[in-house]
Amino acid sequence: MRNLIRRNIVAGFVAAATLATMAVGLEAQGVKIADPTSVVMIVNRDSNDIAFMDIKTHKIVGSVFLGNNVNPHMVMMSPDGRYVVTGGTRANKAYIIDTKTLQLVKTIPVDIAPEHLAFSPDSRWYYQGNPDGDSISVIDMQSLSKIKTIPGFVEPLNVTFLPDGSKAYVGNYGAHWVGVVDVRRHELIKKIQIAEVPGVAKLDPSKYLGEIHGINIAMPSPDGKYLYAADGTLGIVGVIDPREDAVIKHIRVGKDPWRIYMGHDGKYAITPNNGDNTISIIDLKTNSVAATLEAGPNMTGVNFAQGKAFVISSTSGFVYVYDMNSLKPAGRIKMGTNVQLETATTDTKEEKLYLAESTNHEVLIIDAKTNAVERVGHVGLYPWGTHIMDSKDNYCH
Amino acid sequence: MMRVRKRFCGFGAAMVLICGAVGASAQEKPAQMNMADHRGALQGRVRNGAGAPVADTEVLAINAENGAEFRSTTDAQGAYSFGALPVGKYDVTLTSTAGLTTFRRRGVDVAMDGKVTLDITLDAASAAEAAEFERQQLLEKIATLEKRVGDLETTTVLSEPETRVRRVEVYVDPSGVEHEDPTPGAKKTVTYRRERTYRRQTISEKIDAAIEEAATHRVTVGVDAAMATQFATQTRGDIEPGNAAYALASADLFFTAGIAQNTLFFADIVGLSGAPPDSEIPTLTLINGYTARLVEQNSLNLREAWLRTEVWKNRLALTAGRLDLTNYFDANAFANDESTQFISDALVNNQMLGLAVNGVGVASEFDAKNGLKLKFGFQQSSPEPTSLGDSLFTLSEVGYTFTPFSLPEGTYRVWFRTDNSEPDVIRQGVGFSFDQKLSPAVGLFARYGQAETDLGHDRFYSLGVSFQHGFILNPEDTWGVGYANMDLKTGEREHLIEGYYNLLLTEKLRLSFHLTGVVDTPVGGSKFGYLFPGIRFQAAF
Repeated sequence: MRNLIRRNIVAGFVAAATLATMAVGLEAQGVKIADPTSVVMIVNRDSNDIAFMDIKTHKIVGSVFLGNNVNPHMVMMSPDGRYVVTGGTRANKAYIIDTKTLQLVKTIPVDIAPEHLAFSPDSRWYYQGNPDGDSISVIDMQSLSKIKTIPGFVEPLNVTFLPDGSKAYVGNYGAHWVGVVDVRRHELIKKIQIAEVPGVAKLDPSKYLGEIHGINIAMPSPDGKYLYAADGTLGIVGVIDPREDAVIKHIRVGKDPWRIYMGHDGKYAITPNNGDNTISIIDLKTNSVAATLEAGPNMTGVNFAQGKAFVISSTSGFVYVYDMNSLKPAGRIKMGTNVQLETATTDTKEEKLYLAESTNHEVLIIDAKTNAVERVGHVGLYPWGTHIMDSKDNYCH
Repeated sequence: MMRVRKRFCGFGAAMVLICGAVGASAQEKPAQMNMADHRGALQGRVRNGAGAPVADTEVLAINAENGAEFRSTTDAQGAYSFGALPVGKYDVTLTSTAGLTTFRRRGVDVAMDGKVTLDITLDAASAAEAAEFERQQLLEKIATLEKRVGDLETTTVLSEPETRVRRVEVYVDPSGVEHEDPTPGAKKTVTYRRERTYRRQTISEKIDAAIEEAATHRVTVGVDAAMATQFATQTRGDIEPGNAAYALASADLFFTAGIAQNTLFFADIVGLSGAPPDSEIPTLTLINGYTARLVEQNSLNLREAWLRTEVWKNRLALTAGRLDLTNYFDANAFANDESTQFISDALVNNQMLGLAVNGVGVASEFDAKNGLKLKFGFQQSSPEPTSLGDSLFTLSEVGYTFTPFSLPEGTYRVWFRTDNSEPDVIRQGVGFSFDQKLSPAVGLFARYGQAETDLGHDRFYSLGVSFQHGFILNPEDTWGVGYANMDLKTGEREHLIEGYYNLLLTEKLRLSFHLTGVVDTPVGGSKFGYLFPGIRFQAAF
């Protein structure tokens, strides 16, 4: 018995010493983030940095300054957790940060006004959308260099990859088609028209010849079988079969849908319709609208957790909550008065939402179960969005 | 002698001066040499690929350090010579008469007092070497240019740094010192502070922001204008008129302004002109719903003017002023708007709500945002009495929105009303209504209401079906069919059926076609019936 105790004590000491040695070793190597899943990334538009918040303690553990007047837009971690990248909208550059050391390891010139971005599932390719350059910059994450600029898009906002990484789909906000990119060749191979502009369009030049609210994103369903693309001007969601790269169904939703957000369980998706301040809940099995419910103005995002959908109404200061089982409104959470809510991410346990609020430079943490709100201030100037590795709700404006 | 002496004196003075100058120079600049004063020579012969001399060809030597150019022309033997080039490295170039570089050699070193020989052979290899050199030089220039553009983009701010005022919470201690973070003894206080943000904005972003900012401070004007033309064809009975045509034009001007936090001012001025069927045909309900707005022909009337504010985290909305209380109640999604849906009043309003005029009142609405809505309001029911106590109309409603039986959303509501406008009696009414989507394209609606009278209870019901997003010509079109039944204790009865198709021409312009059939039984009279085909043209912006 005594031997056993002694053995345990010795083993305990050895383990503690090993851990301590590892910690010291990591620190000596300049490691600031050992576990990439342990942080929430915050993109601060006006202080031009990416801040890293510990997901447990809610303390800012590091920050990477990118340069004056860079105005980063969206932040994302590579699927392998090795790098954190962002596009500097006003610097026309992509920034690559080493996750462990939080060192800015590479700055790569891209096209005009880089905003949203995506990684191929194998972390090899970083596709940076350049809405004002009408192009996608392809960055090789092995050599950390731009290998190609794919032209021919019209205000490309978001890129999504098929799970096998063979094709990428690009939403064009300045048009009514989705671009299909062959990832092996990095070439635009097809333009899928989401829907025809109705015949009465010629009577309404102010609507159809004014500003196009086209396609923000072609969002894959959780099972990867279809892609869903909402067209703002046309008020339609097109369902794309990626085997044929053809639209197999049109779903009419509310006015001016911003984009589509996928529920995590694969049952429903939501379009926030900023034209009539409603949300359309789409049944993914029948590909039809299951409910159209009241919401708020200027919606910028939808997050899912604990069987609920949280819809961010940017200028009202409210997050609207919906019960995704009964498809009923489930109240709304007041986040503040005269605040500007941006976008949020959901943690991988689907317990908390991390919502950027730019007026007071804070991140608002919503407990998805209780709807309680915790405020973390001084995260940087004008926090614009958040990101957590492997979160199912990583998106930007 | 004198001259010799003078000459000596002159020489001596010059020596003194030179020595003095050298001495002074040696004291001021310790042994610095001017490289430009030291020169070297560069020479050689130019031959073609066959070895023959190339005459009358210009050889260009460019100093790599300062870009100074020196030229020499070959003689009949192909010889060229730069006798005195400043010391340094030179790029030597020969260019053909066509302007192509045929030879280029970088870094030819001309040493002090040295003589460098560079024989040049103009063959394919030298031309290729020159072309490669030029390509490299071009790439260098592009790289430099890219860097400069990049630097310009990162360092140039296209707009002034923005300032904005922010509401902040600070901590003020008893001595009045402000702290950013909680401090023992300090009290949390709200204050406002200007802050500066460094965001580069494009000109269009700046303009958009300025327009948006200006819009929040101005009064918004809206217009809703419509013209409804209806034809009456008698189908039953023999009352006058037999057949007739009617037209009523209506224009509403709306004024909206945000005047405080969560507080809005609204006014609606309406003007009508023309003759609706209701001015001549004595149906129980209004065939043209716009007739309810007609107070006086060709004149403007203040229909509504109210303030609305939201309190309790925006859950409770209070509206007070001159209003149409029934607007806030029984708001059926498929049959509640005479400007875009059915035109018959029997399919726009529940006839048992019973309020005919607008007046001073208050409407409150509690929206828990979980589907439940509670409403209560009161309004002056008649402009004649001198006190509100003699003309008080109240309305209460409970509404609930949900998705029953796996159907899309539906809203169900129950209302109750009281009216004391008759002397010494309070009349009551009750009703319910629902609008339920059966599919994304098809919606069902129904209403029922009953109101107390001296003789018993008058009853009204209506029901119908509405279509949108399906079975239509254009994506935003809607159409519907409805039936309404009115049964009064006096014996008067009415059956009304209407179908409409609303064609959305543009966001601001709609054209709709209506067909209304009605059969009325008046008190002590014989039944009469009419068919009203009509067209409504509506502009709203």
